[in-house]
Amino acid sequence: MPGNLYKAAAIVGAAEANEIGFLKEPVTSLQLHMEAIQNLSEQTGMPLSRIEGVFSAGWTTELCEHLGLRPKYIDTTAVGGCSFQIHVHHALAAIHAGIIDTALISHGENGASAGKLGGRGLGNYARGAGVQSPAHEMTMAYGLGGAPSNYAHAMTRHMHRYGTTTEDFAHIAKISRDWATLNPRAAMYSKEKHPFGGPITVEQVEESRMIAWPMTILHCCMVTDHGGAVLLASPKVAATLKTPPVWVAGAGESMGHGSMLEMDDFTATSARFSADAAYTMAGMGPDDMEMALVYDSFTITAAITIEMLGLTPRGEGHTLWKNGDAAPGGRFPINTNGGGLSFNHSGMYGMQLLVEAYRQMSRTAEDGINGDPGKQTDARTCIVNGTGGTLSTTGTLVLMADDAT
Amino acid sequence: MSYKLPVPHPGTHTRPFWEGTKEGKLMLPKCGDCNRVHWYPRHICPFCHSDNISWVEGSGEGTIYSYAVQHLAFGPWAEEAPYVTAYVDLKEGDRMLTVLRGVDPEKPEDIAIGAKVAVEFEAASDDVHIPFWRVVEGD
Repeated sequence: MPGNLYKAAAIVGAAEANEIGFLKEPVTSLQLHMEAIQNLSEQTGMPLSRIEGVFSAGWTTELCEHLGLRPKYIDTTAVGGCSFQIHVHHALAAIHAGIIDTALISHGENGASAGKLGGRGLGNYARGAGVQSPAHEMTMAYGLGGAPSNYAHAMTRHMHRYGTTTEDFAHIAKISRDWATLNPRAAMYSKEKHPFGGPITVEQVEESRMIAWPMTILHCCMVTDHGGAVLLASPKVAATLKTPPVWVAGAGESMGHGSMLEMDDFTATSARFSADAAYTMAGMGPDDMEMALVYDSFTITAAITIEMLGLTPRGEGHTLWKNGDAAPGGRFPINTNGGGLSFNHSGMYGMQLLVEAYRQMSRTAEDGINGDPGKQTDARTCIVNGTGGTLSTTGTLVLMADDAT
Repeated sequence: MSYKLPVPHPGTHTRPFWEGTKEGKLMLPKCGDCNRVHWYPRHICPFCHSDNISWVEGSGEGTIYSYAVQHLAFGPWAEEAPYVTAYVDLKEGDRMLTVLRGVDPEKPEDIAIGAKVAVEFEAASDDVHIPFWRVVEGD
């Protein structure tokens, strides 16, 4: 029996900035936002003036100001890469409550360009109490730097607890790259597009440069530029648009911790709670899902997430890649855009998940964005899971194609 | 002082911890209502939400929960790479982060999750002595 918010709204469009990935000329995060929003308006035929709710992971005020909007609903939830899955959850509730009929979720992040422009721009978020936080005070002396330095501890623990190996996780990187070679917008689409692009082997993943043992660089996502925007609409408004609706059947959010110091079990995230909420709302379960899009900041993130979503038993998430199920042509496609590992990862990858989810569920993947088609799957249901922070926060969506039963 | 790595800035309510480190003591916050030790220090107990928290001297013993070897490091730590970071389960409960001592970063497979570790303190400044954990031989 589905919950009250089941299909209370549909995603009715999803667009990206004109150029994404590693750009020749540096761009600002704001430009990436604006290009995606304009492309979304063109795609859906929805004039920007009709947008009633605005959701963004930072500085929503500046975004609305640039768009000249007077929104009825403002949400600046910024809890890392899953913020956009959580925005969908919040927009669903706001639309169901009758406060708004249309919701714009937008994200622009110049992860690659930022360094060239002297600092990070719109789209990034502050880290709470910063140096005054006791969690920071008690960890800052111990040489952890970027995200890989912390996530590596989760892979070590998984290997210890379940007997998994780096080779097991390397299959995730290899198959994600296989998907990327079918997606011309992927940063690692080909050798012509990027010197390190094109197909890779499990051996190459294993032998690539060590970043934080046990993780080599090919277990890690990229840092690129990306802008993306999606539009949610009430069923009433969705019926008036030229784009196909993709129904939000279930949504859930949760968190385990802020600092990894507080993560009880390094092999489990709060996705087990956010997924439970999403499945319950949808009246569905893991067996009803036909594909998955999961945040793959690192191969270990994707493997753990698959376990938390109930798609495999604990300790066996990697097997969906290793046995070929997740691969192009496989029984259960995963990360069909090439993932954060090989498609695009700007810092907070949840928006890229939403764009690909819309393309797959609306069967528009082959229509292309700016003339670049992706690979269409046959799936009619999709589970989407964003992960933020250091395996900290999660947002889960169960999406259904308009003709899904 | 010759300490070149980042040094914590003691917070407003963690003073007893840093005073302890100068005397070679690992002071830990403990809830007087549920009797559980927690780490990092809180204004209220994360387990039972009581504010009846006092500082007790810990044993300075623990075990490795998980670890990693940092090859890509930033700032002053870049010159130290590779080095081993670890999360340590305290004998009293809850968990601390450390840079692990007494291990070979070139042989990560030889490091054992569950291995016994003991705390030691390094004087980073007159005010701050930083706890580090070392693998104990013959556990």
